[in-house]
Amino acid sequence: MLRFYVWLYVAFLYAPIAVITLFSFHSSPSLTFPFEGVSLRWYEKIFSDTTFMTSLQNSLIVGASTALVTTVLGSLTALGLARLKGRIQTFFGLLAFGPVALPGLFLGIALVMLFSQMGLQRSLLTVTIAHVLFTLPFFIEAVRSRIEYFDLSLEEAARDLGATPMQAFRLVTLPIIGPTIGGAAILSFALSFDEFIITVFVSGNDTTLPLTIWSMMRRAVSPDINAASVISLGLSIGVILIGGLLVWYQRRTALNARARDTQA
Amino acid sequence: MLKSSRREAMGLALATPSFLFLLIFFIVPTLLLFVCSFWLAQSFRLIPAFTFDNYTRALSAGGFYALTWNALKNGLCTAVLTVGLSFPAAYFIVYRTRGNLLFYLILVSWFSSYLVRIYAWRVILGSNGLINTTLMQLGLISEPLEVLLFSPFATILTLTHIMLPFGLLLLVSALRDVKTDYIEAARDLGASQIEVLTKVILPMCYKGVVGAFMFTFVISAGDFVTPQLLGGRDGMTTGILIANQFRTAGNWPFGAAMAFLMLAAFLIVYLAFVRLLDLLRLAPGRRFHD
Repeated sequence: MLRFYVWLYVAFLYAPIAVITLFSFHSSPSLTFPFEGVSLRWYEKIFSDTTFMTSLQNSLIVGASTALVTTVLGSLTALGLARLKGRIQTFFGLLAFGPVALPGLFLGIALVMLFSQMGLQRSLLTVTIAHVLFTLPFFIEAVRSRIEYFDLSLEEAARDLGATPMQAFRLVTLPIIGPTIGGAAILSFALSFDEFIITVFVSGNDTTLPLTIWSMMRRAVSPDINAASVISLGLSIGVILIGGLLVWYQRRTALNARARDTQA
Repeated sequence: MLKSSRREAMGLALATPSFLFLLIFFIVPTLLLFVCSFWLAQSFRLIPAFTFDNYTRALSAGGFYALTWNALKNGLCTAVLTVGLSFPAAYFIVYRTRGNLLFYLILVSWFSSYLVRIYAWRVILGSNGLINTTLMQLGLISEPLEVLLFSPFATILTLTHIMLPFGLLLLVSALRDVKTDYIEAARDLGASQIEVLTKVILPMCYKGVVGAFMFTFVISAGDFVTPQLLGGRDGMTTGILIANQFRTAGNWPFGAAMAFLMLAAFLIVYLAFVRLLDLLRLAPGRRFHD
């Protein structure tokens, strides 16, 4: 019974995505059954659309920059939180979680207000700042549980044996937390790639992919939105799958290596 | 002693860059927005002042209550559906499966772009959409059902679809803390399935349930894109009104005041929800006093 329910739940989650994907290959503009034939015409159309291609490029740039900045800030914070205790840790944990506890709308209007008071022109830079703010809490949350298990005395042992702080980090800490950080960096990219609600307020003339899909949706129901949607879906799901596989693979090789070492 | 204080100093140093980032781009903008809610706007220019006009203007307009109610209704319905539908699935994943494949399959759908999902539901629910044309081809209806799209129903359905995977994630991580030992112990002592659920599982994963409910509620009640694209005329919410102040109409202080009123409404819902769980004796700490 419960098993059947869960598969129904999964079907409900994927049905709309399946419908869009199916009709993106439809040879006629109609979005209803019967299905008349398969064609790639909507993909050809969307790939020759310069607005779409530019916004795709912008999204990739913003996603990569966001992932980079969030990874640096987030890893430092997570490593810092592992060293802190009591009230300071609680306070900082709450502060770092704050941005996702509020609706995106609120962050969007607060940031647009700040940027206008600072005299900062809206651009891909302001979009990236907003995305870092939005992805940082997820990053810290994803990395934190792993870092809490990390034994700080390992690092200190390396220091006592004469390693510099950088060496201790590179040779001891990084190999242990690296895969988790990599996975969280990919998570940040995917979150940034799909972000729309905050972006709508803080973007200037350069648009990102969700903004382009939004303006396509507002114009008319044209079947090339299906193709654009599938490209967007495919990229974010693909990135997440690759990230997941990488983390899984690294963990497995690490476990195998450890098993081999203990046997020897 | 020396080592531990050096460790703390290092911890503070490592956390400083993020703290500065959050200070400049989270705390300062929030305070600025609050200050600005007491300012005035004249022909797109902000005039620093200290007046409650924006708040009284919002609170004295009858429409504001109706739109806030719509937003709260969207949020409450979505949160109830998300937690209600995800809880059995989370239970199944935690206690009935070994691998994580099913869990990951559900999580991956979280990354199927927010806007694309809104668009997909528009295609499915529209008057020329999949459901209507199929029903008409089957001869079950003669006219397309207009209520499917551009109604609060469409908004809530889509928001639930968007929130389900994340709600599930929070519930699964909460349930993982409730070890099977406790459940088996309760069963051995003669508790029924229902009693195990209400007296053991729910109180033990209380924080996760409250977290999943509130997170879903805040995101969906504050969402303005879904109701704008799918909600129709009756589905207008405070969120849309606030977004419009910042995007088209241009009275920022008025928008800021409405945003803080919206947050206040969210806070009231939170307190009411916690009180409700307390009264239903599902909160921890209560169950021992029966």
